[in-house]
Amino acid sequence: MTRWNALPVLMVVVALLAMTAGSGGAAPARGGTLTIVIGSDPPSLDPHRTPSVNIAHAVMYETLVTVDRRTGEFIPGLAESWEISQDGTAITFKLKRGVKFHDGTPFNAAAVKTTFDRLVSKETNAPGASWVGTLTRTEVVDDLTVRLVFSKPYAPIFSSLRISFLAILSPTAIAKMGADYGQNPVGTGPFRFKQWIPNDRIVYERNPDYAWGPAHYKNRGAPNFDQLIIRIVPDESTRVIAFERGDIDILPGAPARDARRMMRDGKFPFIQIPTTSGTYLGFNVKKAPVNDVRVRRAIGHATNTDEVARIALEGLAVPMLSPIAPTIWGYWDGVKQFALNHDPDRARALLVEAGYRPGPGGAMIKDGRQLEFTVWTYARMTNVRVAVVLQSQLRTAGIKLNIEQMEPATLLASTQRGEHDAIMISYGWPDADILYYFFHSSRLPTTNRVHYVNAQVDKLLEDGQTTVDTAKRLEVYKQLQRILLAEVPWVPLASELSVNFNQSYVQDVYYDKFGNLLLLDAYRTR
Amino acid sequence: MFHYVARRLLHLIPVLLGISFLVFLLVHLVPGDPVRVMLADAGSPEQVERMRRQLGLDRPIYVQYASFVVRAAQGDFGRSIHTRRPVAQEIAFRIPYTVRMAVAATLVAVAMGVVLGAIAAVHHQSALDYGTMVVALAGVSLPNFWLGLVLILVFSLHLRWLPPAGADSLLHLILPAVTLGTSSSAIIARLTRSSMLEVLRQDYIRTARAKGVGPRRLVYRHALKNAMIPVVSIVGMQFASLLGGAVIVETVFGWPGIGRLAVDAIFTRDIPVIQAVVLVAAVIFVFMNLLVDLLYGLLDPRIRYG
Repeated sequence: MTRWNALPVLMVVVALLAMTAGSGGAAPARGGTLTIVIGSDPPSLDPHRTPSVNIAHAVMYETLVTVDRRTGEFIPGLAESWEISQDGTAITFKLKRGVKFHDGTPFNAAAVKTTFDRLVSKETNAPGASWVGTLTRTEVVDDLTVRLVFSKPYAPIFSSLRISFLAILSPTAIAKMGADYGQNPVGTGPFRFKQWIPNDRIVYERNPDYAWGPAHYKNRGAPNFDQLIIRIVPDESTRVIAFERGDIDILPGAPARDARRMMRDGKFPFIQIPTTSGTYLGFNVKKAPVNDVRVRRAIGHATNTDEVARIALEGLAVPMLSPIAPTIWGYWDGVKQFALNHDPDRARALLVEAGYRPGPGGAMIKDGRQLEFTVWTYARMTNVRVAVVLQSQLRTAGIKLNIEQMEPATLLASTQRGEHDAIMISYGWPDADILYYFFHSSRLPTTNRVHYVNAQVDKLLEDGQTTVDTAKRLEVYKQLQRILLAEVPWVPLASELSVNFNQSYVQDVYYDKFGNLLLLDAYRTR
Repeated sequence: MFHYVARRLLHLIPVLLGISFLVFLLVHLVPGDPVRVMLADAGSPEQVERMRRQLGLDRPIYVQYASFVVRAAQGDFGRSIHTRRPVAQEIAFRIPYTVRMAVAATLVAVAMGVVLGAIAAVHHQSALDYGTMVVALAGVSLPNFWLGLVLILVFSLHLRWLPPAGADSLLHLILPAVTLGTSSSAIIARLTRSSMLEVLRQDYIRTARAKGVGPRRLVYRHALKNAMIPVVSIVGMQFASLLGGAVIVETVFGWPGIGRLAVDAIFTRDIPVIQAVVLVAAVIFVFMNLLVDLLYGLLDPRIRYG
């Protein structure tokens, strides 16, 4: 009989035990393709040449600063740390070491300088340039230290810094591609660009060198998928069907009615999150009958934003009490006491004060004519639904609302001439500074569509931009919200919620508080 | 014949000039401008002015038009304001998809239309005749987007036979082609029917029948071929207009064709793209028109072109 040697057997047993030890939390499976669907192509994958950015940019580009998905605070992105000067006019960033662009170019202060110089240059004339505000120059302090210098402190800069407009681009690629850079983009992100078939799909592949993911991820290295495909399907019903059929792995922002149905059926996991969007009724404060603040306040009190959110938006929205949606920095909970609550009696009393008298059928009449105005809005289903709900709410208060639908470019151009009574559209931005574009007198008549001029509000909006101290800055916007709710150039309506579905075999998909899709931890189980 | 073709091609020049002028005028008269769309809400007034200058939109209209004509004659359609890609590239990219769709839809339309029309004619004034004409009427009355979505619902979601969107394979072509072809088929059906009825009444058909030619051979060999002559001309024109893009079907099915390019360009007021797409569509239409007329001449030996 051979002598039985315990040691090899023991080694095998120990090895077996060691292999099974970690399988309680199975490591995410590597490989596979992830398919996401959106409604339209971005105009360009060059952030300096597009008026809007979306997930197509976010997966391959990175910014100096990003946002923690749980707390919403600014955390290191491509910059490891930063220091703001005493007077608030300079921010010095220490950059992460060892980062490379997809084409191998090293990421450093020079690359940041090249990117920002290009963003603000007159020649580029970038639509996203205003988001760096008063930036006058970008200085290279040393290879991994860069300084942004502003002519006046620009407080919203951090909100802007995390958005893809301000992503850092490869200087080599910019120099090489010139005008065609937008079709051959190069960034530092977890996925690198492979191919773009216009109106059909954008294809990315894993960046194997990626090793500098933000701290809120478990996986800070290369993503788990080999390939990422963003499919473009313009019709929202088709998008839903493609997802339900299994052709698509992630469906962000499902249309409300389908979202409700799919949530009820419970077949697919979903994540419902607030967005930074706000829908509002904006008046042309120079035009009768809405030039009278009492009439505007009355309309505000006649509106029931709960109904708007519940009925028009299928409950997938929260009523907006302030011109700033609850998810936007600058929103102040205390605004509730100043909000235009639903109070039809108060509405009628205000109209009486403004010279109206109740007539036949409850209509409010002045000088022989009923209080009547027209609202312009887009011919989108959600806009129309909100308008119709408003119409019926105002009818109860004796006000006649006419609805006129327009296509976007026409509407936005026509408001310049001040011919409109009111508009009903939405906006979306993470920082209260967006109000500058809507209410500052210098932005008349382009983005200040309500034709609102108020010197006190102008000053507050300017202070909001230059006050770097966060607590003090919030006070500015608190005051601003109070004034805007008293003067009612807008009746805030609702902020939509976004319902995002994914297939059950896709795990660990997250969204940050701004509704951005976070994919570094995600993986497929089959 | 050569002179005829040459003369017809020469007609292209005034037609294209006229069309391009009209489109240019329309695009500039409509409210909304590409610069505002491009810079959205963020752009400052200085930026707007600068972009207008960079795009050459600050020049007087007749200068802009003249410059456009001169460059277009050399094949340079400029760059899209929206995407910055060369316009020629944008169009060249999408044309193959549009052609594929047009061919497939026309095949569907002809197959459905000719079959329905022939059946109706042969069984003239019977239930079959009325029945097929009702089917044809339904085909042209149903809105494209509705039919498209219903087909997607049935064949994509419930039966899972066909994909709902995209343009990768031949399978992706089936549903959109059927949707598009169904509405075109109605006209072809009616025309086939009336043309067949006309032919079936002719003396040579009576003669053939008297000589003992069987009914099936009669219809296929003698009647159908001659009945097809006017149908060919309609099919040609339908094909030509399909080559101009089918916006609704392209949108519902996510098909990357010229139609979507045109509509997106209109929404963003992308002037260079709008101009180029309209011109390309016009050229295609004129060529198809010529081709159909020549084909007509080939099929009907009574027609001569001088």
